[in-house]
Amino acid sequence: MSLPSWEAWTCVWGSRIGDTLNYLYSIPHSIATAILSFLHINLPQLNYLLTWVIASIILLVVVMVNVIILIYVERKELGRFMDRRGPFVVGPAGFFQNFADAFKFLIKEMILPENADGLGFNSTLVIVVASSMLIMAVVPQAPDFYYTNTDLGLLLAFAIFAIEPFAVVIAGWASNNKYSLLGGFRSTAQMMSYEVPMLITVLSVVVLAGTFNFTQIVNYQASHVWFVVPLIIGFIVFLISIVAEIERIPFDTPDAEAELVHGWMTEYAGIKFALFQLTSYVRSFAGAAIMVLIFLGGWTGPILPPILWFYIKVYAVFTLFVWMRASLPRVRIDQVLNLGWRSLLPLSLVNMLIAAFLKIYGGVFHL
Amino acid sequence: MSSAAYLPVLIFAVISVLFVLVSFVVSALLRPTKHEPLKETTYECGEVPIGDTRIQFHFQYYMFALIFVIADVLTVFLALWALSFSPSNTLVNALMFVFTGMLVAIILYALKKEELIWI
Repeated sequence: MSLPSWEAWTCVWGSRIGDTLNYLYSIPHSIATAILSFLHINLPQLNYLLTWVIASIILLVVVMVNVIILIYVERKELGRFMDRRGPFVVGPAGFFQNFADAFKFLIKEMILPENADGLGFNSTLVIVVASSMLIMAVVPQAPDFYYTNTDLGLLLAFAIFAIEPFAVVIAGWASNNKYSLLGGFRSTAQMMSYEVPMLITVLSVVVLAGTFNFTQIVNYQASHVWFVVPLIIGFIVFLISIVAEIERIPFDTPDAEAELVHGWMTEYAGIKFALFQLTSYVRSFAGAAIMVLIFLGGWTGPILPPILWFYIKVYAVFTLFVWMRASLPRVRIDQVLNLGWRSLLPLSLVNMLIAAFLKIYGGVFHL
Repeated sequence: MSSAAYLPVLIFAVISVLFVLVSFVVSALLRPTKHEPLKETTYECGEVPIGDTRIQFHFQYYMFALIFVIADVLTVFLALWALSFSPSNTLVNALMFVFTGMLVAIILYALKKEELIWI
Protein backbone atom coordinates (compact mmCIF):
# COMPACT_ATOMS: atom_id res chain seq x y z
CA MET A 1 0.00 0.00 0.00
CA SER A 2 1.12 3.57 -0.59
CA LEU A 3 0.29 6.92 0.91
CA PRO A 4 -2.53 8.80 -0.85
CA SER A 5 -1.57 11.50 -3.30
CA TRP A 6 -1.80 15.20 -2.56
CA GLU A 7 -5.11 15.36 -4.45
CA ALA A 8 -6.51 12.70 -2.18
CA TRP A 9 -5.50 14.69 0.90
CA THR A 10 -6.91 17.97 -0.34
CA CYS A 11 -10.11 16.55 -1.82
CA VAL A 12 -11.92 16.46 1.50
CA TRP A 13 -15.30 17.39 0.03
CA GLY A 14 -15.57 14.41 -2.27
CA SER A 15 -16.68 10.95 -1.33
CA ARG A 16 -14.02 8.34 -0.84
CA ILE A 17 -15.86 5.10 -0.23
CA GLY A 18 -13.96 1.89 -0.72
CA ASP A 19 -11.75 -0.39 1.23
CA THR A 20 -8.54 0.39 -0.65
CA LEU A 21 -8.36 3.84 0.95
CA ASN A 22 -9.57 2.72 4.35
CA TYR A 23 -6.54 2.53 6.64
CA LEU A 24 -8.52 0.69 9.29
CA TYR A 25 -8.96 -2.12 6.75
CA SER A 26 -5.86 -1.96 4.56
CA ILE A 27 -3.24 -1.84 7.34
CA PRO A 28 -4.68 -4.83 9.28
CA HIS A 29 -5.18 -6.66 6.00
CA SER A 30 -1.52 -6.27 5.04
CA ILE A 31 -0.42 -7.32 8.54
CA ALA A 32 -2.68 -10.40 8.44
CA THR A 33 -1.47 -11.34 4.96
CA ALA A 34 2.15 -10.97 6.07
CA ILE A 35 1.62 -13.15 9.15
CA LEU A 36 -0.22 -15.86 7.20
CA SER A 37 2.32 -15.92 4.38
CA PHE A 38 5.11 -16.18 6.97
CA LEU A 39 3.34 -19.22 8.42
CA HIS A 40 2.63 -20.64 4.92
CA ILE A 41 -1.13 -20.76 5.52
CA ASN A 42 -3.46 -20.02 2.63
CA LEU A 43 -6.94 -19.76 4.07
CA PRO A 44 -9.11 -16.80 2.99
CA GLN A 45 -11.45 -17.27 5.96
CA LEU A 46 -8.56 -17.12 8.43
CA ASN A 47 -7.19 -14.06 6.67
CA TYR A 48 -10.61 -12.37 6.95
CA LEU A 49 -10.91 -13.22 10.65
CA LEU A 50 -7.36 -12.14 11.48
CA THR A 51 -7.78 -8.89 9.53
CA TRP A 52 -10.90 -7.90 11.43
CA VAL A 53 -9.48 -8.99 14.79
CA ILE A 54 -6.43 -6.75 14.23
CA ALA A 55 -8.71 -3.94 13.02
CA SER A 56 -10.87 -4.35 16.15
CA ILE A 57 -7.84 -4.11 18.40
CA ILE A 58 -6.63 -0.98 16.57
CA LEU A 59 -10.09 0.61 16.88
CA LEU A 60 -10.25 -0.33 20.57
CA VAL A 61 -6.86 1.32 21.15
CA VAL A 62 -8.00 4.43 19.25
CA VAL A 63 -11.13 4.66 21.41
CA MET A 64 -9.11 4.09 24.61
CA VAL A 65 -6.58 6.80 23.71
CA ASN A 66 -9.44 9.17 22.98
CA VAL A 67 -11.09 8.34 26.30
CA ILE A 68 -7.85 9.06 28.17
CA ILE A 69 -7.49 12.40 26.39
CA LEU A 70 -11.18 13.19 26.98
CA ILE A 71 -10.86 12.61 30.73
CA TYR A 72 -7.78 14.84 30.81
CA VAL A 73 -9.52 17.53 28.73
CA GLU A 74 -12.58 17.40 30.96
CA ARG A 75 -10.53 17.73 34.14
CA LYS A 76 -8.50 20.64 32.78
CA GLU A 77 -11.50 22.47 31.34
CA LEU A 78 -13.61 21.86 34.45
CA GLY A 79 -10.75 23.26 36.47
CA ARG A 80 -10.68 26.40 34.37
CA PHE A 81 -14.46 26.78 34.55
CA MET A 82 -14.22 26.54 38.34
CA ASP A 83 -11.31 29.00 38.46
CA ARG A 84 -8.65 26.47 39.44
CA ARG A 85 -5.89 24.72 37.55
CA GLY A 86 -7.02 21.13 37.28
CA PRO A 87 -4.49 18.29 37.57
CA PHE A 88 -0.86 19.44 37.27
CA VAL A 89 1.29 17.27 39.55
CA VAL A 90 1.61 13.85 37.85
CA GLY A 91 3.50 13.99 34.56
CA PRO A 92 3.71 16.96 32.17
CA ALA A 93 0.81 19.32 32.95
CA GLY A 94 -0.82 16.54 34.95
CA PHE A 95 -1.42 14.33 31.91
CA PHE A 96 -0.56 11.10 33.72
CA GLN A 97 -3.14 11.69 36.46
CA ASN A 98 -5.55 9.39 34.58
CA PHE A 99 -3.01 6.59 34.47
CA ALA A 100 -2.36 6.98 38.19
CA ASP A 101 -6.12 6.77 38.86
CA ALA A 102 -6.52 3.77 36.58
CA PHE A 103 -3.71 1.92 38.32
CA LYS A 104 -5.19 2.75 41.71
CA PHE A 105 -8.54 1.27 40.60
CA LEU A 106 -6.73 -1.78 39.21
CA ILE A 107 -5.16 -2.72 42.56
CA LYS A 108 -8.31 -2.06 44.60
CA GLU A 109 -10.02 -5.02 46.19
CA MET A 110 -13.15 -6.36 44.47
CA ILE A 111 -16.19 -6.85 46.67
CA LEU A 112 -19.35 -8.78 45.92
CA PRO A 113 -21.91 -7.44 48.41
CA GLU A 114 -23.87 -9.89 50.49
CA ASN A 115 -27.17 -11.14 49.03
CA ALA A 116 -26.20 -9.75 45.63
CA ASP A 117 -26.91 -11.81 42.53
CA GLY A 118 -23.43 -12.63 41.23
CA LEU A 119 -24.44 -13.43 37.68
CA GLY A 120 -26.52 -10.29 37.22
CA PHE A 121 -23.98 -8.17 39.06
CA ASN A 122 -21.06 -9.14 36.81
CA SER A 123 -22.71 -9.85 33.45
CA THR A 124 -24.40 -6.44 33.32
CA LEU A 125 -20.97 -4.85 33.58
CA VAL A 126 -19.83 -6.78 30.52
CA ILE A 127 -22.98 -5.82 28.61
CA VAL A 128 -22.72 -2.12 29.48
CA VAL A 129 -19.03 -1.80 28.60
CA ALA A 130 -19.11 -3.97 25.46
CA SER A 131 -22.25 -2.37 24.03
CA SER A 132 -20.83 1.11 24.56
CA MET A 133 -17.63 0.14 22.79
CA LEU A 134 -19.66 -1.39 19.99
CA ILE A 135 -21.19 1.98 19.05
CA MET A 136 -17.82 3.09 17.70
CA ALA A 137 -17.71 0.08 15.34
CA VAL A 138 -20.49 1.55 13.19
CA VAL A 139 -19.48 5.22 13.48
CA PRO A 140 -16.99 6.23 10.77
CA GLN A 141 -14.31 8.74 11.70
CA ALA A 142 -13.08 9.79 8.26
CA PRO A 143 -13.60 8.64 4.65
CA ASP A 144 -10.26 6.83 4.99
CA PHE A 145 -10.66 5.65 8.58
CA TYR A 146 -13.75 3.65 9.42
CA TYR A 147 -14.44 0.19 10.77
CA THR A 148 -17.64 -0.59 8.87
CA ASN A 149 -19.61 1.60 6.50
CA THR A 150 -23.01 -0.08 6.38
CA ASP A 151 -26.25 1.13 4.84
CA LEU A 152 -28.03 1.05 8.20
CA GLY A 153 -25.16 2.53 10.23
CA LEU A 154 -27.17 5.33 11.82
CA LEU A 155 -30.03 3.02 12.82
CA LEU A 156 -27.59 0.42 14.15
CA ALA A 157 -25.71 3.03 16.20
CA PHE A 158 -28.88 4.08 18.00
CA ALA A 159 -30.02 0.47 18.40
CA ILE A 160 -26.73 -0.28 20.19
CA PHE A 161 -27.06 2.95 22.16
CA ALA A 162 -30.35 1.67 23.57
CA ILE A 163 -28.99 -1.63 24.93
CA GLU A 164 -27.57 -0.06 28.09
CA PRO A 165 -30.84 0.70 30.05
CA PHE A 166 -31.75 -3.01 30.21
CA ALA A 167 -28.36 -3.84 31.71
CA VAL A 168 -28.60 -0.88 34.08
CA VAL A 169 -31.95 -1.89 35.53
CA ILE A 170 -30.66 -5.45 36.04
CA ALA A 171 -27.53 -4.04 37.70
CA GLY A 172 -29.66 -2.02 40.11
CA TRP A 173 -31.81 -5.05 40.90
CA ALA A 174 -28.85 -7.44 41.34
CA SER A 175 -26.90 -5.18 43.70
CA ASN A 176 -29.45 -5.65 46.50
CA ASN A 177 -29.12 -2.01 47.47
CA LYS A 178 -32.02 0.44 47.60
CA TYR A 179 -29.94 3.26 46.12
CA SER A 180 -28.88 1.03 43.23
CA LEU A 181 -32.46 -0.06 42.61
CA LEU A 182 -33.75 3.53 42.52
CA GLY A 183 -30.86 4.59 40.30
CA GLY A 184 -31.54 1.76 37.87
CA PHE A 185 -35.22 2.65 37.56
CA ARG A 186 -34.43 6.33 37.16
CA SER A 187 -31.87 5.56 34.48
CA THR A 188 -34.36 3.47 32.53
CA ALA A 189 -37.14 6.05 32.80
CA GLN A 190 -34.81 8.84 31.70
CA MET A 191 -33.38 6.91 28.76
CA MET A 192 -36.87 5.90 27.62
CA SER A 193 -38.03 9.50 27.73
CA TYR A 194 -35.14 10.87 25.72
CA GLU A 195 -34.88 8.02 23.23
CA VAL A 196 -38.01 9.15 21.38
CA PRO A 197 -37.17 12.85 20.76
CA MET A 198 -33.62 11.88 19.83
CA LEU A 199 -34.74 9.28 17.29
CA ILE A 200 -37.34 11.60 15.74
CA THR A 201 -34.69 14.32 15.40
CA VAL A 202 -32.34 11.86 13.74
CA LEU A 203 -35.15 10.83 11.38
CA SER A 204 -35.57 14.46 10.29
CA VAL A 205 -31.95 14.32 9.16
CA VAL A 206 -32.77 11.09 7.32
CA VAL A 207 -35.69 12.82 5.56
CA LEU A 208 -33.31 15.44 4.19
CA ALA A 209 -30.42 13.13 3.34
CA GLY A 210 -32.54 10.15 2.28
CA THR A 211 -30.22 7.51 3.75
CA PHE A 212 -29.10 5.86 6.97
CA ASN A 213 -25.48 5.67 5.81
CA PHE A 214 -23.15 7.99 7.75
CA THR A 215 -20.83 8.60 4.80
CA GLN A 216 -23.67 9.54 2.47
CA ILE A 217 -25.18 11.87 5.10
CA VAL A 218 -21.82 13.65 5.43
CA ASN A 219 -21.41 13.87 1.66
CA TYR A 220 -24.91 15.33 1.36
CA GLN A 221 -24.01 17.98 3.92
CA ALA A 222 -20.75 18.71 2.12
CA SER A 223 -22.55 19.34 -1.17
CA HIS A 224 -25.51 21.25 0.34
CA VAL A 225 -25.39 22.76 3.80
CA TRP A 226 -24.62 21.53 7.32
CA PHE A 227 -27.86 20.28 8.83
CA VAL A 228 -27.33 22.46 11.88
CA VAL A 229 -28.44 25.47 9.77
CA PRO A 230 -31.91 24.36 8.57
CA LEU A 231 -32.55 22.08 11.56
CA ILE A 232 -31.37 24.32 14.39
CA ILE A 233 -34.34 23.23 16.56
CA GLY A 234 -33.42 19.63 15.98
CA PHE A 235 -29.79 20.35 16.86
CA ILE A 236 -30.80 21.80 20.23
CA VAL A 237 -33.21 18.92 20.92
CA PHE A 238 -30.51 16.42 19.97
CA LEU A 239 -27.92 18.14 22.17
CA ILE A 240 -30.19 17.98 25.23
CA SER A 241 -31.27 14.41 24.46
CA ILE A 242 -27.75 13.10 23.93
CA VAL A 243 -26.56 14.69 27.19
CA ALA A 244 -29.49 12.99 28.93
CA GLU A 245 -28.71 9.69 27.19
CA ILE A 246 -25.08 9.66 28.29
CA GLU A 247 -26.14 10.85 31.77
CA ARG A 248 -23.83 13.80 32.10
CA ILE A 249 -24.29 16.32 34.84
CA PRO A 250 -27.37 18.42 34.15
CA PHE A 251 -29.23 15.12 33.64
CA ASP A 252 -27.31 12.69 35.86
CA THR A 253 -30.23 11.93 38.17
CA PRO A 254 -29.52 8.15 37.98
CA ASP A 255 -26.27 8.64 39.87
CA ALA A 256 -26.95 11.86 41.73
CA GLU A 257 -24.37 11.91 44.52
CA ALA A 258 -26.45 14.10 46.80
CA GLU A 259 -29.55 11.88 46.88
CA LEU A 260 -28.53 8.38 45.74
CA VAL A 261 -24.99 7.58 46.81
CA HIS A 262 -23.76 6.77 43.33
CA GLY A 263 -26.99 5.45 41.84
CA TRP A 264 -26.81 2.06 40.20
CA MET A 265 -22.98 2.07 40.48
CA THR A 266 -22.96 2.25 44.30
CA GLU A 267 -21.93 -1.35 45.01
CA TYR A 268 -19.35 -1.67 42.23
CA ALA A 269 -15.78 -1.40 43.47
CA GLY A 270 -12.29 -1.32 42.02
CA ILE A 271 -11.86 -2.18 38.37
CA LYS A 272 -15.63 -2.48 37.85
CA PHE A 273 -16.18 1.11 38.88
CA ALA A 274 -13.27 2.20 36.69
CA LEU A 275 -14.84 0.40 33.72
CA PHE A 276 -18.19 2.13 34.32
CA GLN A 277 -16.51 5.53 34.46
CA LEU A 278 -14.61 4.68 31.27
CA THR A 279 -17.87 3.63 29.63
CA SER A 280 -19.48 6.97 30.33
CA TYR A 281 -16.62 8.66 28.46
CA VAL A 282 -16.86 6.17 25.59
CA ARG A 283 -20.54 7.08 25.33
CA SER A 284 -19.69 10.79 25.45
CA PHE A 285 -17.21 10.27 22.64
CA ALA A 286 -19.70 8.27 20.58
CA GLY A 287 -22.48 10.81 21.19
CA ALA A 288 -20.25 13.71 20.21
CA ALA A 289 -19.12 11.78 17.12
CA ILE A 290 -22.69 11.04 16.00
CA MET A 291 -23.67 14.66 16.59
CA VAL A 292 -20.73 15.88 14.52
CA LEU A 293 -21.54 13.45 11.71
CA ILE A 294 -25.24 14.19 11.36
CA PHE A 295 -25.37 17.91 12.18
CA LEU A 296 -21.95 19.53 11.93
CA GLY A 297 -20.75 18.30 8.55
CA GLY A 298 -18.66 15.39 9.81
CA TRP A 299 -15.10 15.41 8.52
CA THR A 300 -15.58 18.12 5.89
CA GLY A 301 -13.45 21.22 6.17
CA PRO A 302 -10.76 23.13 4.30
CA ILE A 303 -7.01 22.36 4.09
CA LEU A 304 -6.61 19.98 7.05
CA PRO A 305 -7.07 16.22 6.51
CA PRO A 306 -10.57 14.85 7.23
CA ILE A 307 -9.64 12.85 10.33
CA LEU A 308 -8.19 15.97 11.95
CA TRP A 309 -11.37 17.95 11.21
CA PHE A 310 -13.43 15.16 12.71
CA TYR A 311 -11.45 15.21 15.95
CA ILE A 312 -11.44 19.02 16.13
CA LYS A 313 -15.24 19.01 15.91
CA VAL A 314 -15.64 16.11 18.36
CA TYR A 315 -13.49 17.86 20.95
CA ALA A 316 -15.38 21.13 20.38
CA VAL A 317 -18.70 19.34 21.03
CA PHE A 318 -17.20 17.66 24.10
CA THR A 319 -16.13 21.08 25.37
CA LEU A 320 -19.78 22.10 25.02
CA PHE A 321 -20.74 19.10 27.18
CA VAL A 322 -18.17 20.13 29.80
CA TRP A 323 -19.47 23.69 29.68
CA MET A 324 -23.01 22.46 30.35
CA ARG A 325 -21.69 20.35 33.21
CA ALA A 326 -19.83 23.28 34.74
CA SER A 327 -22.59 25.86 34.47
CA LEU A 328 -25.94 24.07 34.92
CA PRO A 329 -27.39 22.62 38.12
CA ARG A 330 -28.76 19.10 38.25
CA VAL A 331 -32.46 18.82 37.41
CA ARG A 332 -34.94 16.85 39.48
CA ILE A 333 -36.16 13.52 38.11
CA ASP A 334 -39.76 14.63 37.47
CA GLN A 335 -38.43 17.79 35.79
CA VAL A 336 -36.24 15.58 33.60
CA LEU A 337 -39.20 13.46 32.53
CA ASN A 338 -41.47 16.45 31.96
CA LEU A 339 -38.83 18.21 29.87
CA GLY A 340 -38.42 15.10 27.76
CA TRP A 341 -42.07 14.37 27.13
CA ARG A 342 -43.71 17.80 27.18
CA SER A 343 -41.08 20.01 25.52
CA LEU A 344 -38.67 17.93 23.49
CA LEU A 345 -41.18 15.54 21.90
CA PRO A 346 -43.34 18.34 20.37
CA LEU A 347 -40.21 20.27 19.38
CA SER A 348 -38.76 17.23 17.63
CA LEU A 349 -42.02 16.77 15.70
CA VAL A 350 -41.96 20.45 14.70
CA ASN A 351 -38.41 19.86 13.53
CA MET A 352 -39.62 16.87 11.50
CA LEU A 353 -42.27 19.06 9.84
CA ILE A 354 -39.62 21.66 8.98
CA ALA A 355 -37.46 18.96 7.43
CA ALA A 356 -40.34 17.59 5.33
CA PHE A 357 -41.31 21.14 4.29
CA LEU A 358 -37.73 21.94 3.23
CA LYS A 359 -37.48 18.68 1.32
CA ILE A 360 -40.73 19.35 -0.55
CA TYR A 361 -40.29 23.04 -1.32
CA GLY A 362 -36.52 23.24 -1.57
CA GLY A 363 -36.24 26.59 0.14
CA VAL A 364 -33.28 28.90 0.20
CA PHE A 365 -30.80 26.15 1.04
CA HIS A 366 -31.22 24.23 -2.24
CA LEU A 367 -32.19 21.15 -0.32
CA MET B 1 -26.04 -4.65 1.04
CA SER B 2 -25.76 -8.23 2.27
CA SER B 3 -25.54 -9.29 5.88
CA ALA B 4 -21.83 -10.01 5.40
CA ALA B 5 -21.20 -6.28 5.86
CA TYR B 6 -22.32 -6.61 9.48
CA LEU B 7 -20.05 -9.55 10.33
CA PRO B 8 -17.13 -7.28 11.40
CA VAL B 9 -19.47 -5.67 13.97
CA LEU B 10 -19.97 -9.10 15.52
CA ILE B 11 -16.19 -9.64 15.62
CA PHE B 12 -15.77 -6.28 17.33
CA ALA B 13 -18.46 -7.24 19.88
CA VAL B 14 -16.50 -10.40 20.76
CA ILE B 15 -13.26 -8.41 21.04
CA SER B 16 -14.85 -5.80 23.32
CA VAL B 17 -16.28 -8.52 25.59
CA LEU B 18 -12.78 -10.04 25.73
CA PHE B 19 -11.41 -6.59 26.66
CA VAL B 20 -13.59 -6.54 29.78
CA LEU B 21 -12.61 -10.08 30.73
CA VAL B 22 -8.90 -9.34 30.23
CA SER B 23 -9.13 -6.27 32.45
CA PHE B 24 -10.80 -8.49 35.11
CA VAL B 25 -7.91 -10.96 34.88
CA VAL B 26 -5.26 -8.22 35.10
CA SER B 27 -6.98 -6.76 38.13
CA ALA B 28 -7.27 -10.22 39.74
CA LEU B 29 -3.50 -10.69 39.36
CA LEU B 30 -2.70 -7.36 41.02
CA ARG B 31 -5.26 -6.79 43.74
CA PRO B 32 -5.31 -8.18 47.29
CA THR B 33 -8.21 -10.41 48.37
CA LYS B 34 -9.14 -10.50 52.04
CA HIS B 35 -12.71 -11.50 52.71
CA GLU B 36 -14.32 -10.01 55.78
CA PRO B 37 -18.05 -10.22 56.52
CA LEU B 38 -18.21 -6.57 57.58
CA LYS B 39 -16.69 -5.43 54.30
CA GLU B 40 -19.37 -7.13 52.24
CA THR B 41 -22.37 -5.57 53.91
CA THR B 42 -24.72 -3.52 51.73
CA TYR B 43 -23.63 0.10 51.56
CA GLU B 44 -26.54 2.29 52.61
CA CYS B 45 -24.77 5.18 54.31
CA GLY B 46 -23.48 3.09 57.19
CA GLU B 47 -26.93 2.16 58.51
CA VAL B 48 -28.06 -1.45 58.75
CA PRO B 49 -30.49 -1.90 55.80
CA ILE B 50 -34.12 -2.03 56.87
CA GLY B 51 -36.03 -4.81 55.17
CA ASP B 52 -35.41 -6.53 51.88
CA THR B 53 -34.57 -4.57 48.75
CA ARG B 54 -36.46 -6.74 46.28
CA ILE B 55 -39.99 -5.86 47.34
CA GLN B 56 -43.10 -4.74 45.46
CA PHE B 57 -43.35 -1.00 45.59
CA HIS B 58 -45.21 1.80 43.87
CA PHE B 59 -43.63 2.05 40.45
CA GLN B 60 -44.26 5.62 39.42
CA TYR B 61 -42.48 5.36 36.07
CA TYR B 62 -44.96 2.77 34.82
CA MET B 63 -47.09 5.38 33.08
CA PHE B 64 -44.05 6.60 31.16
CA ALA B 65 -43.31 3.04 30.11
CA LEU B 66 -46.81 2.75 28.64
CA ILE B 67 -46.50 6.07 26.83
CA PHE B 68 -43.09 5.00 25.57
CA VAL B 69 -44.65 2.03 23.78
CA ILE B 70 -46.95 4.38 21.82
CA ALA B 71 -44.07 6.72 21.01
CA ASP B 72 -41.82 3.85 19.98
CA VAL B 73 -44.40 2.52 17.51
CA LEU B 74 -44.66 6.06 16.13
CA THR B 75 -40.87 6.20 15.76
CA VAL B 76 -40.71 2.90 13.88
CA PHE B 77 -43.32 4.06 11.36
CA LEU B 78 -41.59 7.44 11.04
CA ALA B 79 -38.28 5.68 10.35
CA LEU B 80 -39.76 3.73 7.46
CA TRP B 81 -41.47 6.87 6.14
CA ALA B 82 -38.33 9.01 6.47
CA LEU B 83 -36.13 6.59 4.56
CA SER B 84 -38.56 6.38 1.63
CA PHE B 85 -39.64 10.02 1.73
CA SER B 86 -40.54 11.49 -1.63
CA PRO B 87 -42.09 14.96 -2.07
CA SER B 88 -44.38 13.77 -4.87
CA ASN B 89 -46.11 11.09 -2.78
CA THR B 90 -48.71 13.43 -1.28
CA LEU B 91 -51.15 10.74 -0.12
CA VAL B 92 -48.58 8.91 2.00
CA ASN B 93 -47.27 12.17 3.46
CA ALA B 94 -50.79 13.29 4.38
CA LEU B 95 -51.57 9.89 5.95
CA MET B 96 -48.34 10.02 7.96
CA PHE B 97 -49.21 13.54 9.12
CA VAL B 98 -52.66 12.43 10.32
CA PHE B 99 -51.23 9.29 12.00
CA THR B 100 -48.54 11.30 13.82
CA GLY B 101 -51.10 13.88 14.89
CA MET B 102 -53.38 11.22 16.34
CA LEU B 103 -50.62 9.54 18.32
CA VAL B 104 -49.31 12.88 19.62
CA ALA B 105 -52.82 13.81 20.75
CA ILE B 106 -53.01 10.46 22.58
CA ILE B 107 -49.62 11.01 24.21
CA LEU B 108 -50.50 14.53 25.37
CA TYR B 109 -53.85 13.31 26.79
CA ALA B 110 -52.08 10.51 28.65
CA LEU B 111 -49.54 12.95 30.07
CA LYS B 112 -52.35 15.21 31.26
CA LYS B 113 -53.98 12.25 33.02
CA GLU B 114 -50.60 11.22 34.40
CA GLU B 115 -50.31 14.49 36.38
CA LEU B 116 -53.03 13.16 38.70
CA ILE B 117 -51.15 9.99 39.65
CA TRP B 118 -47.63 11.42 39.98
CA ILE B 119 -46.41 11.55 43.56
